Amino acid sequence: MPLVNNKVGDDCTASGDKALADGKALVDSLIKVVACYRHLASCVGGCTDSLQLRDELRQTREKAQNLAGDICHHLTSHLRDKSLPDGQRKEMELLWVAFSSCLELLHVDMCKVLNISGIVSLADSASLVHTGLEGCSDVAARALSLPDLNQAQTDSLPSGLESQERSTMELEISQIDRMIDDMEMKVNVLRWMVEPHGPQYADPLSSTDSVSMAVQSIDEEQQAPTSQPLCQRSHIFVLLLL
Amino acid sequence: MTIRNALRDHGQRYRPRMACLKKAEKVLLEMQDPCTGVKSQPQRLVITIIPHAITGEDIIAWLADRFQIDAQEARSFGSMLVALGYIYPLQDHKRLVIKPDASLYRFQTPYFWPTQQWPVEDTDYAIYLAKRNIRKKGILELHEQEQYNHLHKWMNHKWDFVVMQAKEQYRAAKERKKPDRVVFDCQERAYWVVHRPPPGTVSAMDYGLDRRTDPNTDEVTGESPHDLLVKYSATYSGHDPFLSKCLPSNPWLTDDTTYWALNIVEIPTKMRVERWTFSFKELLSDPRGRDDFRLFLKKEFSGENLAFWEGCEDLKWGTAVAMREKAEQIYKTFLARGAPRWINIDGKTMEITVKGLKHPHRYVLDAAQTHIYMLMKKDSYGRYLKSPVFKETLKKAICPEEHKFKNRRPSLSPIIIRQQEQEQRAKMAANAPVDITQVMSKLSKQGKEMGPRHSK
Repeated sequence: MPLVNNKVGDDCTASGDKALADGKALVDSLIKVVACYRHLASCVGGCTDSLQLRDELRQTREKAQNLAGDICHHLTSHLRDKSLPDGQRKEMELLWVAFSSCLELLHVDMCKVLNISGIVSLADSASLVHTGLEGCSDVAARALSLPDLNQAQTDSLPSGLESQERSTMELEISQIDRMIDDMEMKVNVLRWMVEPHGPQYADPLSSTDSVSMAVQSIDEEQQAPTSQPLCQRSHIFVLLLL
Repeated sequence: MTIRNALRDHGQRYRPRMACLKKAEKVLLEMQDPCTGVKSQPQRLVITIIPHAITGEDIIAWLADRFQIDAQEARSFGSMLVALGYIYPLQDHKRLVIKPDASLYRFQTPYFWPTQQWPVEDTDYAIYLAKRNIRKKGILELHEQEQYNHLHKWMNHKWDFVVMQAKEQYRAAKERKKPDRVVFDCQERAYWVVHRPPPGTVSAMDYGLDRRTDPNTDEVTGESPHDLLVKYSATYSGHDPFLSKCLPSNPWLTDDTTYWALNIVEIPTKMRVERWTFSFKELLSDPRGRDDFRLFLKKEFSGENLAFWEGCEDLKWGTAVAMREKAEQIYKTFLARGAPRWINIDGKTMEITVKGLKHPHRYVLDAAQTHIYMLMKKDSYGRYLKSPVFKETLKKAICPEEHKFKNRRPSLSPIIIRQQEQEQRAKMAANAPVDITQVMSKLSKQGKEMGPRHSK
């Protein structure tokens, strides 16, 4: 850890806290966008693949990249600032680790989408794999924080669109690549020194859909019928009769 | 255009080419064709209906028809597709086989198809397990629980991220329609059954060892790996002591260590000198070769290039404590204006390097080092190979004589040697003056120790 200048005044800590809060908010939204991107990417090549899906992917990707650029600047400038107090530096490093993991996930997802669009072409709609899905436009809405998306339907695929899309994607992927490289070069975060705050297990979220629970449990255990799931504040009990 | 995955792929290992994956993809795309593929039917769950389910017997029939094979072979082929993860069973999801009855299957979405390029990341697995735990606490099976704890230990620094990402993915999934959510969960679960199989099961993803060379084409020259391998083998096979004769002799075969001793002394062997001509890298990596090259450069008054390169290597591989000093030293000696051993690099590289030196780290001189390396390789190396220094070294290089197998007798096998020793000992014991009491006590002790076994 670099030496810290401990002459920290009140405004310094206050502005540092604000910077921390800003960074945290940015990273949280990036995590959300990356999660949504993953859901969208899982539909590519399947029967729900369409121009609209590709459009949503593109928009989500753009948002993710903008966020990533912002976070990169924000965190890099703060972590290279030698006068950052120790506690705040630790928090920043946590955010840094989360950010770099996010970028890696995004990078892999983007590569996979590029790869799949090479194998299964949108133009040939018979080759889209019948996966049993019906569509996931609301996910994109969540990612872009819009109440609902403009559901514009395009009938035919413009001829040059796919190759153009591919080249754009390749550019974007190499951009993310470079960003990850730059990050590693500029700021030296010792990952083994970073300690997380959170719990080992993600707590069950309170508002769960009891109906979908029943559907999923039955799908899982075909031989064992389930009894009614009880929905309490934060606990869900499903009794299996074997 | 190659997407550089090397950094994300820690250790630069490459999964061997699984050609079957590409072929399986083609088959799958045919199979799912709505007109000519396998007939699909809707799957009825409690309240929802999910389309595109196929039965095992239909799959087998289609494969048998398409490839003109018998039912048994079609069944194995189908099971292979399931084991690889292209089709997943809806019931009994842990057994990855095709059952020739009305059991239901579904096609896996391309996102979850097995690929050669990207390893299956543990981070994703951790996120998946965390998600399952959100859905239903304590649902993880024993082996999953163990894996989860293990990942929590070694991926501890990312754990906040893992938990947060799991929550976000879970919430994003809620945005989808119910049937889609069910399908996605099944898809993901099937994916992880393939790639993180429960203990005791055989995984189709077991491909053996990772390789050091990229099974896809070489990025720089566009040659296929076959050509490169053939070239490499042709160049180096004469120099491999196990593939061809080495002079004077392979120490492992003749117990004669002259071969090793020869390469420590001043005068190198002809084979060693020949190796320097293969590539610049070979020359530099051999200390004796590097010395020779240094001598040559001294005569040409361009020794600073090699000195700078060596300084950069020292910085890269040295301790972190000394890094700053070393970087400053190198700057003062080679890069600063009016430096005693100023190296000639282009303006842009100089600018980048000087800027980077304000916050020095291990790789700050990489750009300049590469530039100088290429300079030496393209310019000095060629001249070195034609220079009198090299020719002199080549002339002086010795060609040791082949080991003459004069008194060659096959050595005895250790078993025979041990038997001989035992016979010797027995003879000695037999000839020694016999002490009855000792013999009796020894015999009784032997009898007790050995128990039912016979003594020799």
